[in-house]
This record gives sequence, C-alpha cells and structure tokens, in this order.
Amino acid sequence: MTLKNLNKKCGCFAKKVRQCTFGKNCPNVTGPLSETCHTGKVKICKVTGDRKLCARMASLGVMPGQEAELICPQNNSQCLLKVHGGTLSLDQLTSSNIIVQSV
Amino acid sequence: MNNSSITMALAGNPNAGKTTLFNRLTGARQHVGNYPGITVDHKEGYFSHNEQDITITDLPGTYSLTAYSVEEIVTRDFLTANKPKVVINIVDASNLERNLYLTTQFLEMGVPLVIALNMIDVAKDRGIEVRARKLEELLGVPVVPIIARTGEGTDELIRQAIIVGHSEEKWQPIDISYGEDLDKIIIHLDSIIAESDFLTNSYPARFTAIKYLEHDDQMLPLGQKEDSGIARQLEQIVTTVSDHLLKTMDVYPEAIIADHRYGFIKAILRQGVVTHKFDTDRLYTSDKIDKVLTNRLLGPVVMLAILFTLYQFTFSWSELPVALMGSFFGWLGSVVDTLLPEGPLKSMLISGVIDGVGGVLGFVPLIMFMFFGIAVLEDSGYLARVAFMMDRIFRIFGLHGSSVMPFIVSGGIAGGCAVPGVMATRTLRSPKERMATLLTVPFMNCGAKVPVLILLIGAFFSDHKALYMFLFTLLAWLVALVVAKLLRSTVLKGEATPFVMELPPYRFPTLQGLLIHTWERTWQYIKKAGTVILAISILLWALMTYPGLPQEELDSFAEKRIAVTESFSETIQLEIRESDNHNGDLSESALALQERLTTIDQEQSGARLRNSTAGRIGIFLEPVSSLAGFDWRTNIALLGGFAAKEVIISTLGTAYSMGEVDVDASDSLGQRLVRDPNWNSVVAISVLIFIMFYAPCFVTVICIAKEAGSWKWAFFSMAFNTFFAFLASVAVFQIGSFV
Repeated sequence: MTLKNLNKKCGCFAKKVRQCTFGKNCPNVTGPLSETCHTGKVKICKVTGDRKLCARMASLGVMPGQEAELICPQNNSQCLLKVHGGTLSLDQLTSSNIIVQSV
Repeated sequence: MNNSSITMALAGNPNAGKTTLFNRLTGARQHVGNYPGITVDHKEGYFSHNEQDITITDLPGTYSLTAYSVEEIVTRDFLTANKPKVVINIVDASNLERNLYLTTQFLEMGVPLVIALNMIDVAKDRGIEVRARKLEELLGVPVVPIIARTGEGTDELIRQAIIVGHSEEKWQPIDISYGEDLDKIIIHLDSIIAESDFLTNSYPARFTAIKYLEHDDQMLPLGQKEDSGIARQLEQIVTTVSDHLLKTMDVYPEAIIADHRYGFIKAILRQGVVTHKFDTDRLYTSDKIDKVLTNRLLGPVVMLAILFTLYQFTFSWSELPVALMGSFFGWLGSVVDTLLPEGPLKSMLISGVIDGVGGVLGFVPLIMFMFFGIAVLEDSGYLARVAFMMDRIFRIFGLHGSSVMPFIVSGGIAGGCAVPGVMATRTLRSPKERMATLLTVPFMNCGAKVPVLILLIGAFFSDHKALYMFLFTLLAWLVALVVAKLLRSTVLKGEATPFVMELPPYRFPTLQGLLIHTWERTWQYIKKAGTVILAISILLWALMTYPGLPQEELDSFAEKRIAVTESFSETIQLEIRESDNHNGDLSESALALQERLTTIDQEQSGARLRNSTAGRIGIFLEPVSSLAGFDWRTNIALLGGFAAKEVIISTLGTAYSMGEVDVDASDSLGQRLVRDPNWNSVVAISVLIFIMFYAPCFVTVICIAKEAGSWKWAFFSMAFNTFFAFLASVAVFQIGSFV
C-alpha cells in the first residue's frame, strides 16, 4: 500500500469519525440517511431509487419535506427513523436512497 | 334481532392489536407476537353477541391497500372477494397519524367501516387525549374507544358493528382531494372506468383510477385481463402524467397521493381530535431504550448476553423438574414390569410407550421454561429488535431482513418449529431470497431437536450444558447462513431487495399473555408426543421386535442357560430362585451365576434386536454410517427422525432399552449412552451435528413443497441437507478420533 493510499484511507476514516463525533454541531448538512451518523431531527429532501421503493416510503410517510427523527444512526448500515409516530427500521440499501438534511 | 350470521373482518396496521381483539372476541388462542408479520394469511372465528351469530376474520396487518406486500394483497383480495358486512378497522390510539393512513383507503374503497380506537390507555400514559366523538363526526363512521387486552369497550364495538352490518347500505366511497392537477386526471380516469364498467364489480371506479395512478402491481395485470383496450388507454394516460410529474417535480404520482392522504389525516387531527399534554417531539421510553439496545456496538453484545441468559435460566430452573419427570417414568416402567407377565404387551408398554413417549415427555418442564423465556422476548418487542440487528448480517449472506423472523420462528432461539417458519417466508417478495430462506430455516434447532441436544449435551458435557447449548445454537445459525450464501451465489443468484419494517414499541408483557403463549406451545408439544410420537414409537417398537428370533436360536439360548445353571450346585440354584433378584442377599457364588445368566439374556436381547426389521436396516447402513461413528442402533433412531425429529429420542430410548435386559433400572437414556462402548463425546458431537442438519421432518418437507410450488425443492432439501449433514459428521468424527 502506498503512502498516498494509506493517507486516503485514513482520511476517509477520520472523516467518518469527525462526522460521528461532531455531527451534532453541523446542521444543514445534506446527504444520504445512511451516512448521517448523529441522532436528532432531520428533514427529508428527496427519496431516490426505484419507483416501488419511493412509493413504499411515501406510504410510510417518508417523503420530501417531512421531518423525522433519527434514533439509531449506524454509519453505512441500517438505521432507525421515527416518522409520523412510528419507528421504522431501514436497511442500508433503503437509507442510502433517502437524502436528508440535519435540522 | 336478525339471527343470521354477520360477516366481519378485522383489519389494521401491524401491531395495532387485531389478533388480541380476535382472541378476546372468539375465545380463540391465535398466537400474538409483538412484531410485524405474525399473521400472513387470514383466520376465521365465530362468536355470538346478544343472540347474533358473527363470523369474524382476522386479516394480516397492513399499512396500505396498495399491492406492496403479500399482506396487502391478502387483505384487499379478501375484502373484494368476500365483501364482509362490516370491517372493523383497529387503530392504535397512541399512533393515530400512521394508523389512519390505512383508514383513508378503506374510506376511499367505501367498505362499511367501524373504527376501534385501541390502546387508549397507552395513549393516555403518553399524554395523548383522543376525542372519539369528534373523530367519528369528521370521518363519518362510528369510532369506539377500546382496550383489546382487557376487553374494555369491546361490547360497544360489536354493538356498533352489528348496527352497521344490518344497515344494508351500498358501499359508499368518500373522495379525498389529491390537488387540482391530479384530481382532474382522476376524474377523467374515473369517467372512462365508469362508462366501460371496468372492474366495477370489485372496486369503485375512483379507487381503480387511484390505483392506476399508484402503479399498483396487482391492479395493472387485473385490468389487462378484464379489458386490454381500456387498460391500455388508462395506462397511457397514467404514463403521461407520471412522466410529466417526474420531469417537473421529480416525484411519482404515488408520492403526491401519499402526501395528500397524510395531509387529509393531519387536517382531521388538528380539528381538536388529538391533544398532547407533553411536547409532541419528545422521545418515548421505547425510543430511549432503542438507543442502547440497538446500538451498533452495544446491541449485539446485549443480544448475545440476553440469549445466553435465556439458556442459563432454562437449564438451571428446569433441572429439578426434569429429573423428577425422569424418575417418574423410571418408576412407571418398574411398576409395569412388576405387574405384567412377560410377553409382547409388557415389552411394548415398557420399550415402546414408556421409554419412547416418556423420553419425549420427560423434557416438558424444560420446554416450558424455554417457551416462557421466548414469550417474554417476543411480547416485550425485543425479538423485532433482534431482526433489525440481524438484518446487517443477513445481507452479507444474501438473505433479506424479512428472513430473520422465519429463522427465529423455526428455532433460531432454540424451541421453534420449521413448519410455521417455512410458512412465514411468504412475507418475502423476492422469489430467490424467499427460496434461500425456505431451504435454510430447517437448519434451526426446532423444539423437536432440543430434547436430543439436551440429552446428549447433558450426558456427555454435563458441566457446561448452557454453554454448549448456546454454542450449538450459534452453529445452527452459522451453517444456515453459510448454506444460504452458497445457494445465493449459485442456484439462487439474484439482486438483493430492500427491507423496511416498523418496530413495535417496547411493552411490558402481561402474565396472562406469557402463560397463554407458554402453555399453547407446550401443549402442542405434549399433544404431538401423545399422538404422532406415540404412534411412530409403537410402529418402531414393532419394527425393532419383529420378526423375533428363530426357534433354534431361542432353544440354543435356553440350553446355554440350563448349562450355566447346572454348572452350579443345587443350593446356589435354590438361592437364586428364592432371592427374587435382591442382589444384596445373595452369596458370592449366586451373584456369579446371576451375572452369567444376565450376560446370556443380554446376548439374546441383542440378537433379537439385530434380527428385527429395523435392526437389519440399521446393520445394512452401518458400513457407511460408521464413517461418522454411528452404530446400527443409532441408525434406527436417525431413520425414525425422518418422520418426526422427536422420534429420535424415543427410538434411542427403545433401542437402548431393548438392548439391555434390566429395563426397570433407574438408569436414564443418557446414562445408558455414556456406558455404551460405541458412544463417546466425539460420537455425541457427530450425532448432534447430523441431527441438527439432516433432512427436515416429513411435515416440513410437505410444507416446503407447498410453499415452493414444486416437489423438486422439497427433494433437494432432503437430499442436500442429508448429504451435507453426513459430510459434516464424518469430518467431525474422523478429525475428533484422530485428535
């Protein structure tokens, strides 16, 4: 492994740690739900992915403009999202298709 | 009052309390679990209210009436095909916004509706006050507050439902506005549908129009079948609208429809229907617990600790009652031995019934403790969290998050059953993920395998029973996942599908609920032991008894006995006859004579078992099975296990009691196996591995064939599992013996 590659990998890891540790202090960060690694309120900006997934999400209340609460963020993995009074568990594939903004 | 039976349907979101209400109304004991997807098919029950006969159907939990999942299809099909006189929509009062989403679709469909506002006590605890009268006024349907768990309000609910059921009015759909642009399209589609009587026998025209806009997976092919010309016309209009919305707003019509439905619900709730005492944004205790119990690092550690505690609790608390049950069957055997004369009846009762069925029933206390522990996890809502945490691992092995529940139901936490596990795979929509789940759930340690595990672990690894049980459970998971990966990388290759599940809130299980669940499952076990297992035990006893030894061999053994007896003096022979087997009173010479006679009896008993039908099959297989360390008697038990896994223990009991003469001794089967020269700890592990992974029982095989839609997969499951289990056992035995 070259020094450049190592630096790149460490940099990526450091970014993740930074996000997790200081995420609460960085409002208005927009990105996929799967990469939001701090708890708290988020605003759903967009739901991407295939039509069926978008429709299913909409029926569960996960749609653009809706506010939700991220209960259990797990970087690059599944997560728990509280929306319309219910707690949804979303897998990585689904949560990576939900673009949110920290509130 | 009209006494002809009224048909009612119970519908609502998962975990809203449908099955609890169904059980309360009908007195049935359908299984209720605090996790979504417990009811995949609909169940029917009957009851009377003020001399009115009622037929009620418990429908699966759904969030909508659009065909996203099998539950939604089952619910919608039932409503259109059976047209119940009244639908009781059970909604969770503590989570009204989400629950009323389904209600709006019932209203759009026009079904005669009564809303059961359930869990008002939970809502009250959370500071939520719901004004039922106001909600009733705004929705235009009766709303009755109830607590399904205690039965509060259910009389009034049924009274209202009967009134609606007798009203004989036509289904009256309501119109919800989806915004100016979509409304115009819906009206246009509605007119085409109404003019051509397109699917109007099953659905209101507007409902069909909305489903076309939602691109409903079931409605589109149904329309093609009804009238392909009209269907094409509708599809063209909808495609134009969808493309336009996607280009201008970057959304599909279904998102706009869902948004307006939630808007409709919010508008109703804000008109004084719901008032909150506390801050609406606050996290409830359930969410706070989730922050810890589903934490990426802490969650799995807590999960393993909880499962290990479950085993520790089961083994330590059940030790005494299991020993007492063992002693009871030992005593029963000796009573029958004393009371009955020698002959086939005595042999059948002792070797077939008491050793066979008693061997299975002896584990009832342990099974009860295990089921109680599982009921606590299930009713509290923790099992749903286990599914959530396991999803990440399942992905790696090519399975779906919805596969977790079938695994758990099948015995993921030892003690389930593969049959409901196989049926629970219906919740998976991807055929390949479903098939991979279907074929691997039988690897779990079902309730029938548990006694075998307990017997062999207890006999050969008695110092660390809970630990070994825990390790064998983990092994079952590991093997199932590895095989799933193998299948998904070869014959069942395909894309992964998304997994979304609503987690139920944590709830304190009620003692009544826990006792009902525990008893229901234990009773199933006892019933099986008293019927199927009893029948198979007697059949196997017959196979192990007949044909008996030829007369020449019997004469030869008799001659041997006479020769041995005559080699001792008359006094010794008399001492033996008068002692009535009380060894303590015998002289040294008499003891020697008795020992030699016992050896001859054992030889005769062994020869008889070898000569029996089952013995011959076992001996025939021995050259191959010995590679894995199984002797011919173990082969007989394993063959019996193809019928039902419980039979393994009863057959081992019968085979090892027939091999020995002293059946009334208080030795347990475990002690007999430990004493047997063909058994040791390596053989025990090899046998355990074979039993855990070989062909599923007969009922499961039939179920796999039914669910897979072909016998090909059922035969594959039998052949593949047996081959895999045998290879694993051979490897364990050969490596273990070498080491």
